[in-house]
Amino acid sequence: MQNIFKSTYRNFIRKPATNLINLVGLAVSLALVVILSVYSYSELTTDSQHKNGDRVYLYSDLVNGRINAPAMLKTQIDLTIPEVESTVTVGGPWDNPVFQVEGRDPIASDIITADPDFFKLFTYEAIEGNLTTALNDPMTVVLTKPLADKLFGKGSVVGKTVKIDNKNSLTVSAVIKVPQVKSTLSFNAITSNASRKAIYPNPEEFERWDYRNFQLFVLLKQGTNADDVSNRISTLFPDYDKYKENYDLLKLNPIEQVYFSKFRLYGSTYLKHGDKTKVMILLLVAALVLIIALVNFINISSSQWSEKIKQTVVLKVIGADRTSILKGALGEAFILFLLSLLLAILFVLLLYPFVRNFTGISFSASLLYKPLFLFVSVGGVFLLSLIFSLIPAMRISSSKAVDNLKKSIDSRNSKSVSRGILVTTQFTIAIVLIAFTVLVQKQVDFGSSNFGFDKENVIGIKLTPQLMEKKDVLKKLIQDNPNTGKVSFTQYFPGKLNEHWSRPQVINGEKKQFGFDTFNGDANLLSILSLQLVEGRFYSDDLATDSKKMVVNETFVREHKMENPVGTKLAMGSGENSPLSEIVGVVKDFHYKHANIPIGSLIIKNDTYVSYCLVTVSTSNFKSLSSFVQYVKNETSKLSPTFPVEVSFLDQAIENLYQSEIQFRRTFTLFAGCAIVICCLGIFAMSMFACQRRIKEVGIRKVNGAKVSEVLAMLNKDFVKWVAIAFIIATPIAWYFMNKWLESFACKTELSWWIFALAGLMAMGIALLTVSWQSWRAAIRNPVESLRYE
Amino acid sequence: MIILKNIFKYYDNKFQRTFVLKDVNLTIKEGEFVSIMGPSGAGKSTLLNIIGMLDEPNEGEYFFLEQPAHQLNEKKKTEFHRNYVGFIFQAFHLIDEMTVAENIETPLIYKGVKSRDRQAMVADMLDRFNMVAKKDLFPAQLSGGQQQLVGIARAIVGKPKLLLADEPTGNLHSDQGKEIMKLLQKLNEEGITIIQVTHNEEFANYGKRIIRIADGLISSDTKL
Repeated sequence: MQNIFKSTYRNFIRKPATNLINLVGLAVSLALVVILSVYSYSELTTDSQHKNGDRVYLYSDLVNGRINAPAMLKTQIDLTIPEVESTVTVGGPWDNPVFQVEGRDPIASDIITADPDFFKLFTYEAIEGNLTTALNDPMTVVLTKPLADKLFGKGSVVGKTVKIDNKNSLTVSAVIKVPQVKSTLSFNAITSNASRKAIYPNPEEFERWDYRNFQLFVLLKQGTNADDVSNRISTLFPDYDKYKENYDLLKLNPIEQVYFSKFRLYGSTYLKHGDKTKVMILLLVAALVLIIALVNFINISSSQWSEKIKQTVVLKVIGADRTSILKGALGEAFILFLLSLLLAILFVLLLYPFVRNFTGISFSASLLYKPLFLFVSVGGVFLLSLIFSLIPAMRISSSKAVDNLKKSIDSRNSKSVSRGILVTTQFTIAIVLIAFTVLVQKQVDFGSSNFGFDKENVIGIKLTPQLMEKKDVLKKLIQDNPNTGKVSFTQYFPGKLNEHWSRPQVINGEKKQFGFDTFNGDANLLSILSLQLVEGRFYSDDLATDSKKMVVNETFVREHKMENPVGTKLAMGSGENSPLSEIVGVVKDFHYKHANIPIGSLIIKNDTYVSYCLVTVSTSNFKSLSSFVQYVKNETSKLSPTFPVEVSFLDQAIENLYQSEIQFRRTFTLFAGCAIVICCLGIFAMSMFACQRRIKEVGIRKVNGAKVSEVLAMLNKDFVKWVAIAFIIATPIAWYFMNKWLESFACKTELSWWIFALAGLMAMGIALLTVSWQSWRAAIRNPVESLRYE
Repeated sequence: MIILKNIFKYYDNKFQRTFVLKDVNLTIKEGEFVSIMGPSGAGKSTLLNIIGMLDEPNEGEYFFLEQPAHQLNEKKKTEFHRNYVGFIFQAFHLIDEMTVAENIETPLIYKGVKSRDRQAMVADMLDRFNMVAKKDLFPAQLSGGQQQLVGIARAIVGKPKLLLADEPTGNLHSDQGKEIMKLLQKLNEEGITIIQVTHNEEFANYGKRIIRIADGLISSDTKL
């Protein structure tokens, strides 16, 4: 055993360059594999911490797979369906409230409201308090540890009170740990639905079937069929007979499927979701990078074969049997792999913070210390070394002794073919990855730049309750600044979710249900966002009659098949004889939600209930911009002393909205970059061997009058050929997968030919640069030196 | 000790069969020092390899210590290499990654000798060849003659009955060669049977018997 370590070490020292390439390449690729597999593992095991998770289901309904349910449904289910052990409705307010503990700074944080059984369905670990009773009494709140620390500082907090929005006091009943396992539910504070009635008084949402402000989770009894239950739930709706086909779409979704499903949530954002395609793509990338590194490993170790064979024969002659030779080869490979695994884990630990910030890939680092991880990784490495050392070792050890000892092994022809195949495989992968990277860049740029509205130099001020009361004062104050362009009050801000309404309409005597997204805005919104009018007009501030008028988008007109939208009056209330509002104009479609989501039908209402103040700044000079923001911040905080005011740039908000795309792009760029670097290391080593092998040939050619350029061409020819073949193979593969990937976007960029050309040229350029470094050194060498020892 | 009966060795090309050894009959007794001579391509090395069980004859029988060696399996051959025979090569064939001491020690490891005994045996060898100071050097740091000394030490450390040397002096200049030959002579006097292949008439005379081979046939067999 000791011998294996020694000989591995000495082998390494004898050829530091190639062995280092081998080790670093393997380590980098294993680091990627570790990061990505741990990340994928933590994504795929999301919500696995809930003890009753296999019996918890989320309600979804209607065509779009909405997950909004009326609170009334809970009462009905509890009364009529005995197979349901427990029903919990969960809701979040539209906006984050401000929490304040006496004598400390106010903090804006999210909160959700739920029924007392919440902790029966979802498993959380309590640090303080008793979770089974924590939500029983109204006006109590359960906090996560980080929020509790922020609000109260250190020490026990159960029994203390915190003020919400400067109005209601809640008593802390428990503090929970943030779970280590990823979870769909993400919240910092939770209070009971009973407190909701006091904090956000809206009695109708608990009494009416058409107020769907909640998500409904059910815990089924052991052995209950979810489909049966969902069928029975749909019949509980009073209008079931009327909209039967809609209610048949009602479903109970197992909780572990919720994270990767594409449910649309209107209202608060306490439900997180993941992207399975992204996880799969990243896993695939990890596998590809590993393949590239393994190809390097094969190439480098096979270049050492001829020496190895000789050594093996000597060992055999002095009495080594086959097993000890195989053991030696396996041991050496295992040590190398194990070393690169250790190095990889070191890389991961060192680089994880950077990788997390740069790519948004996050996982709990404690996964790395789990025995499962240790077992799987060491086992995997052992398997790899077994495969990649034993096959060549068996070939070596079974070969006939004398043949190998006598002749210098020169099977260049057969090997250069297999070597060619390997390098071609590597470059095929590299080209596909480069092409994909370019496409991801293109798609993300395309998605985040084609909004249909202008986002430069617009700032948004979030209206706090105190600012809301003094809108006119605020407007005047802002307009006092010479840099102010236009000011608009609206409910719209990128990244904030819009309300979704569903209203019965009578059009030409025909009854219809209109579903649409909606927000309020005023006359200046059109010009601030530079929206384009297609038909009619936008409302004006001067006309008092314009209040309650509406503007719709093109999709609205199309979806509801309106022939003359302008002038049509729609009922905007929910009752039978609700007041009618008139459509005065149609605007061109713009991405008010997210460029990856199809544009919905939209109504912009001219109403006074708003939540944001948008201001255009007439200067684009950085200094005056920041002094303008400072001015706004100072003035607004004077107007809103109790509530902290958020001021943000529109373009930044949009960037935040596209965070996950941008991070995916970065992830891809980073990993594809690593793949290419490993690829380069590989062909660098290969070109080194090729030059060493052909050094005599180069000498002879030069003596016979070959120019340096001709020698260079000769040495580079093989590599160019391999890259060219790789390009031909890679293009259709890349094209296929790129098309597949683009299909998932509503708004997609074109698949241009230049992406492939660019990828091919880049691969060729990189390969030529890498190879030429060695070739050049070989070509300018004095032939006398290389021929001297003949 | 060694009995070769009607040994044939040939290679088949597409249209013809090239003979390397044609009907070789040879008996070598324990304690002999045989030099095999002949021009290049005559089949000397092939004969030596067959004796050393690195190669197999196409036809014929080979008895080593009364055992039919042509019927031995891989495992038995390993046994043979471990316990009965030592090899010396023209190109030394030391293991580059091992120090002098480790090179000498390796056959003992395969033989299963205990670590303490190994150290003692290696120390003996180093002492005997005056290489104690060089025990931690690597082969590349030694001269050709010194490397061949290590090669011999490695070959005899396991106390083999038979020492096979394929042009042991081929890569050495004549002074070094003479020293090596004297050493072989001394080893033979101590009781090891030696068979060497050589081109060099002078060095062949260190042996007790010279076998000349031409075109795969034994052309002469003289005792000195």
